[in-house]
Amino acid sequence: MPRRRFPDLLTTASLFLLVLAGPAWAQKQGGTLVMLVQPEPPTLASYINPSVPVGQVAAKVYDGLLEYDFNLKPIPGLAESWTIAPDGKTIAFRLRKGVRFHDGKPLTSADVKFSVLEVLRKVHPRGALTFRHVTDIDIPDAYTAVFKLSAAAPYLMMALSGYESPIVPKHLFEGTDVRNHKNANAPIGTGPFKFVDWRRGQYIRLDRNPDYWKKGRPYLERIVARFIADSFTRTAAIEKGEAHLGGFAAIPWSDVRTLEKLPHIAVTTRGYEMSAPVGKLDMNTKRAPFDNQKVRQAIAYAINRDFVIKNIWFGFGKPATGPISSSFAVAGLYSSEVRSYHVPNGIEMANRLLDEAGLRRGANGLRAEIVHDLTPYGEEWQRFGEYVQQTLQELGIKATLRYEDVPTWLKRIYTDYDYWITSNWIQGLADPVIGVHRLYHSKSIRQGTVYVNGTAWSSPRTDELMDQAEVEPNPAKRAALYKEFQKLIVEASPIAFVHELQFATVYNKQFKDLIVGPLGIYGSFDQAHQAR
Amino acid sequence: MNEPGGRAGYALRRVAQAVPVVFAIVVLNFGLLHLAPGDAVDVLAGEAGSATPEYMRQLRDRFGLEQPFAVRLALYVKNVLTFDLGFSFRHNMPVVQLILARTGPTLLLMGATLVVSVTAGIAFGLVAASRVHGWRDTLISILALVGYATPLFWVGLMLIVVFSLRLGWFPTSGMETIGAFHEGWRRVVDIAHHLVLPVATLSLFYVALYTRLMRAAMLEQVGMDYVTTARAKGLPEGRITLTHVLRNAVLPVVTMAGVQVGSLLGGTVVVESVYAWPGLGLLAFQALFARDLNLIMGILFLSTCLVIVVNLAVDLVYTLLDPRIHLA
Repeated sequence: MPRRRFPDLLTTASLFLLVLAGPAWAQKQGGTLVMLVQPEPPTLASYINPSVPVGQVAAKVYDGLLEYDFNLKPIPGLAESWTIAPDGKTIAFRLRKGVRFHDGKPLTSADVKFSVLEVLRKVHPRGALTFRHVTDIDIPDAYTAVFKLSAAAPYLMMALSGYESPIVPKHLFEGTDVRNHKNANAPIGTGPFKFVDWRRGQYIRLDRNPDYWKKGRPYLERIVARFIADSFTRTAAIEKGEAHLGGFAAIPWSDVRTLEKLPHIAVTTRGYEMSAPVGKLDMNTKRAPFDNQKVRQAIAYAINRDFVIKNIWFGFGKPATGPISSSFAVAGLYSSEVRSYHVPNGIEMANRLLDEAGLRRGANGLRAEIVHDLTPYGEEWQRFGEYVQQTLQELGIKATLRYEDVPTWLKRIYTDYDYWITSNWIQGLADPVIGVHRLYHSKSIRQGTVYVNGTAWSSPRTDELMDQAEVEPNPAKRAALYKEFQKLIVEASPIAFVHELQFATVYNKQFKDLIVGPLGIYGSFDQAHQAR
Repeated sequence: MNEPGGRAGYALRRVAQAVPVVFAIVVLNFGLLHLAPGDAVDVLAGEAGSATPEYMRQLRDRFGLEQPFAVRLALYVKNVLTFDLGFSFRHNMPVVQLILARTGPTLLLMGATLVVSVTAGIAFGLVAASRVHGWRDTLISILALVGYATPLFWVGLMLIVVFSLRLGWFPTSGMETIGAFHEGWRRVVDIAHHLVLPVATLSLFYVALYTRLMRAAMLEQVGMDYVTTARAKGLPEGRITLTHVLRNAVLPVVTMAGVQVGSLLGGTVVVESVYAWPGLGLLAFQALFARDLNLIMGILFLSTCLVIVVNLAVDLVYTLLDPRIHLA
């Protein structure tokens, strides 16, 4: 077979390179990584659309002010250092010198100011929230950007990655319609890879940026993002080595267990710490019987979390205890001192609570009849729905399952509020202010806005706790506020927390250092290299 | 035979008749699609994982979703009449541009499938009918039945398992080798290599269908008087079959192939998603779930035109195959 000669040629070529180039990094240079991106991104304007596929590609092209380590601590990115005033109301970033955009123009503090105030705050779906306390950005010189805040905003420092808050070139965007820009689908950033080509329906090609500000990096010559609509085919492409990486739900959990047995495949569940996804059951607290706290608690008790994780999610995941994922433990924001619904006699507890709530069994043994909506994000949720249906049956609640497509379901839950109980999952994102508050604050009961407070539950005390935590610069005080918050939410139980989802990133072992931080596949891949 | 220019005149008349049909379909599509709950902004915000209400209002305004239904319909029809299919806000691109980039692969897939299935169907039908109830007939009939009854997506998956994963003869998916960036003839060969499994999958059902049709038509024709006449003239059996019977028997297959173009387009949705073939079917499927209405209406408009053109072509082919058929 002619193909056999190819590796030999490569080996010879790389040996040659080694002899010629000398420096240690030379042996890491080269290689094409084919990563699965599912589904095909609609755009590459990650400053407008931060969905998974967009972020996965655009984060290789755009840098952020900061990067993050696995302890959820900021580390230098485009900003080489920063100082935060004791009151938290001034954050001064010192920018790296000699950074250039892919079109050759240098990056200055004016680009930072423009990106935050004119782009992210205006067109990013959560930019208005992230940067709402930013009153202005001073740029005393080309390499200093001083954020002026009306109140301390501790979460802001968590939202400055190249994925969440990309820095875009002012000279290309200024004076144009940012929402409809010619570079939306042909991004120009400062990142380790340059955008080259997008064949719709097939692939996006990114090539190595030789002028990247991290000397010697990136190592890969090229990254190709491939789109394969069918999950079986995606698995086959990974198995055959036609594609090398699949993250989030690109490879279904069931197939991950098959693929991980192959000698050339590795699996990791790290790299989702800043996504912090939680699976849950949302209850419509304005509709009987879920307007009753005891009924809601009964549902939370009845779910056997271990069973669900083991049998539906193939062992991926851990029992969820409350509104804040345990991945925030390293940041000190997670508390397990809440009412525990994860008990062995859950069904018994649930039946007792339902009796206490006055929801008695009728002649046919039924307490209530409801419809259970399923979140349309994959087969697992259908199986989970069947599990919930059976569990509710044990409680004397007859549930009919309803499965609709994404827009229909979103409208039902967040616009019409026409539901009893629905499965759902949500990303906790980089900080509770950005990812968690929206589900519980009374101000987030906003009809027509998706992924906000769809259960319509709120309380003055939890509102107050969230408002204080948003602007509390002292980490210990902030942790105390969130501790009380978690206790109150879990007690009120507007949402039954089921499990912290563990996504699996499946990759070919030829490639090393792909997942090096909490952003996982949203990382820049500047350290990734191919083993020879 | 018609008077000179008759064929062109006929074609023009048919095209003129098609205009109101297309118009009605455009209006119907618009109405039906707007019955679907939820809109493109819900989907975009859903994908983003979160959005502020101001952001969503801003988008709805920009996408023109705040306007009343009648206004949007009138605007759309007016645009279509000037061949402006609108703008896909989701892709941030004009619909025409999106569709054109994806039409080639779909036409390639459909064209290859049509040629393969009609040729193979006629050949198998001919072989089966030549010795009725012989072992070849039985074998072909059984295979045709299986091919007819097997679900498309399952065939696709099984072909990948056998020919790509186990035997390694073909790539699992895609239209070209990603990362190789071939040029010229090497690219043609590469695309042909990628085309084999999708075409085999999509053809299977139609080969089965045309085989059965062809066999039945052949059997019907051999009992006709003109065959007896031909035999009486002393023509050899092979010549009777190939020049007389075949020509008549092929008519129902051609009719069916013409009618099936619409459903073939439907079949490409499945095949394109299984094999990651970058065509229109896949685009339409994704556009529907994203409520990208301008895009999906554009694709439906193009499909409507395609079906009309193919039906016209089939009618014209008829007159070539059978001079007795007149265009009216």
